[in-house]
Amino acid sequence: MKSIRTYLLLALLAIITLVTFVSLLHGYQSSITKAQQLFDERLRNLAEIIANVNQDIQPRTTGMPEHSSTVFFQIWSNDLTLLAHSNNVPNQLLSDLDDMKYNHVNFKGYRWRIFTLKDHHLDRWIITGEREDIRYGLAENIVTASIIPIVLAIPVAGLIIWWAIGLGLKPLRGLSVQLNNKQADDLSPIAIENLPVELTQLVITTNALLKRLNAAFVREQQFSADAAHELRTPISALKVQLHNLQNNDHINEQEIQPLADGIERIGLVIEQVLSLYRHSPDQAMHKQSDVDIAIIAQQIIASDYEKIATRHQQISLVSDDHCLLKGNAFALETLLHNLITNASKYTPEQGEIALMIENTDTGVRLIIEDSGPGINETEYDRVFKRFYRVDGDQHSSGTTGCGLGLAIVQHIVDLHSAQIKLQRSSTLGGLKVVVDFPQSMMGST
Amino acid sequence: MLINSVIIILREVLEAALIISVLLAVSQKLQLSKQWLVAALIAGLIGAAVYAINLKMVSMAFEGSGQEIINANLHLLIYGFIFFLVAILKGKPYHRLTLLAMTSCVAVASIREGSEIIIYIHGFFAIPDLFLPVIIGSIIGMGIGISVGVLFYYLIVNMSFNNGIRLVLFLLILIAGGMIIQATQLLIQADIISSQLPLWDSSSIIDERSLFGQLLYALIGYESTPTATQVYCYITSLILMTFIANRTLKRFKLSHAS
Repeated sequence: MKSIRTYLLLALLAIITLVTFVSLLHGYQSSITKAQQLFDERLRNLAEIIANVNQDIQPRTTGMPEHSSTVFFQIWSNDLTLLAHSNNVPNQLLSDLDDMKYNHVNFKGYRWRIFTLKDHHLDRWIITGEREDIRYGLAENIVTASIIPIVLAIPVAGLIIWWAIGLGLKPLRGLSVQLNNKQADDLSPIAIENLPVELTQLVITTNALLKRLNAAFVREQQFSADAAHELRTPISALKVQLHNLQNNDHINEQEIQPLADGIERIGLVIEQVLSLYRHSPDQAMHKQSDVDIAIIAQQIIASDYEKIATRHQQISLVSDDHCLLKGNAFALETLLHNLITNASKYTPEQGEIALMIENTDTGVRLIIEDSGPGINETEYDRVFKRFYRVDGDQHSSGTTGCGLGLAIVQHIVDLHSAQIKLQRSSTLGGLKVVVDFPQSMMGST
Repeated sequence: MLINSVIIILREVLEAALIISVLLAVSQKLQLSKQWLVAALIAGLIGAAVYAINLKMVSMAFEGSGQEIINANLHLLIYGFIFFLVAILKGKPYHRLTLLAMTSCVAVASIREGSEIIIYIHGFFAIPDLFLPVIIGSIIGMGIGISVGVLFYYLIVNMSFNNGIRLVLFLLILIAGGMIIQATQLLIQADIISSQLPLWDSSSIIDERSLFGQLLYALIGYESTPTATQVYCYITSLILMTFIANRTLKRFKLSHAS
């Protein structure tokens, strides 16, 4: 992933280094030239001092002055007789005699910078010279000393740039932290102090989006509440009318049975569709709490017992103590209700339903078995699809259903990061449903 | 000495930095992992150290022209890897080969340029008076070279995919040409290719030793006084590489159009 901070740091540092170092090189070259001019001036001054101090017009035979090996002088008469010289220089003329001229000569294995001066007063020539490498070394040392701090400043500049970019990107980090920390149902607008111009549009657009999203959610909630109310009322009325019809002696009960089944089915579809809406991830999961699934199972069995009893079915529950889950109580109730109702629906009269809830090493396991006909293995995947019913509407049990029960179960299982498996029950012969809740979803005891 | 160090180190670092930045941009464009670079640099630096340590033995080989011959071969190897890379640069089936070619290319370039730097700086260890200017000059040279590499990398990375790939191929063609011209230069020095009079002298227009001259040297293998053989090899390489790069570009267009 590309980082703005790294990009800015590297690009800025590269530009600064490039510009600084290139100008350093230019500065270095002009400083060296300036230093050379200074040294040249010194060479000329030396020649002038010698011209003033030394008055020789006859060649010296003794007393040649001792000189350091890096500077020399020669004094020549106009007829090219060597009048005097330092003892570190040969006795020959080193270059053409040209007044006020600088030149380069080689002797004793070194390169020398020389200056020639015409002494008009005594009609002689004075040549002064200096070793080029020493001059250059001196000049370079002076210039290098001024360059070192600038070179060392580059890493320091890097650190400061890194810090400054971090400071500049703070509002962006603040924005991403706020977005990241937002709860699934929190659609309140983002608020950031001192928002930079570059982020203003982004925040305005995001807030407008959040507002629209919030309005959409409110509409959806209102719709499901209204739909629940508006659809349940006419169905209740229909049921009352149906009951009255059934009590009417003129009407054959066989004839209105399909009508009764139809009303029952519509009612079921409405309940299930609404419950599917109620369990959308962001609706359900932020109402999480620690729930004991065994206790929920007891409650569901108690509330559904009447229906089970009318079919003369036996239901049993075996559970460990404290099967605590972190989850949504209402969703888990729906899960158990759907599974138990399903089992009861497809198990013939006098049949048997067994529930088992246990704590395992990997989490909590819920098993529901029945003595019904079970489901063909090839159908295992399809039964979780919405509106899918085994054998279509001509189900052998002849029971009313809409094909949403297991789809809702699957949905709730997903919400709790659990796994659901269908098998054939080895003890009761019917369907065996196993739901494994992972350790991460276990509640604290 | 400072300015000499800048020029010598800049020449080596700039060449390596350009190759690395272009290939790094290739892996960015093709969304490949960039870890190959670490492996290539480590291998290259170890290789450079081994080369520098055995320099004496190397120079004695081939009747005293071992260093030139080995360096020429390193340049030809880099050329070969770039050629291979340009030829196979496309789609997923070749990603492993692409990574291999890029790793080898950078490793060999690091051996070549790294050994030159080690040999150069090592020579001044014994001269304390010159050591400081040489080190400062080397830092400046490296700084300029790496900075140019970084800017080239971001230039390519921030381009659109098609333009980026086009620029990458263009730069690879030029860099490959530079490798050929340097290899022939070294082979002339080793007397394997007979030396000739230069075809022209453009040092008065662009001095090889100037900063711009160095950039051109690293980028297109600029020589102010090339011989006919060098020019011939360079042009042949350009034509060949352009042909191969064109085919690669067509494949890119086809795979993008489909």
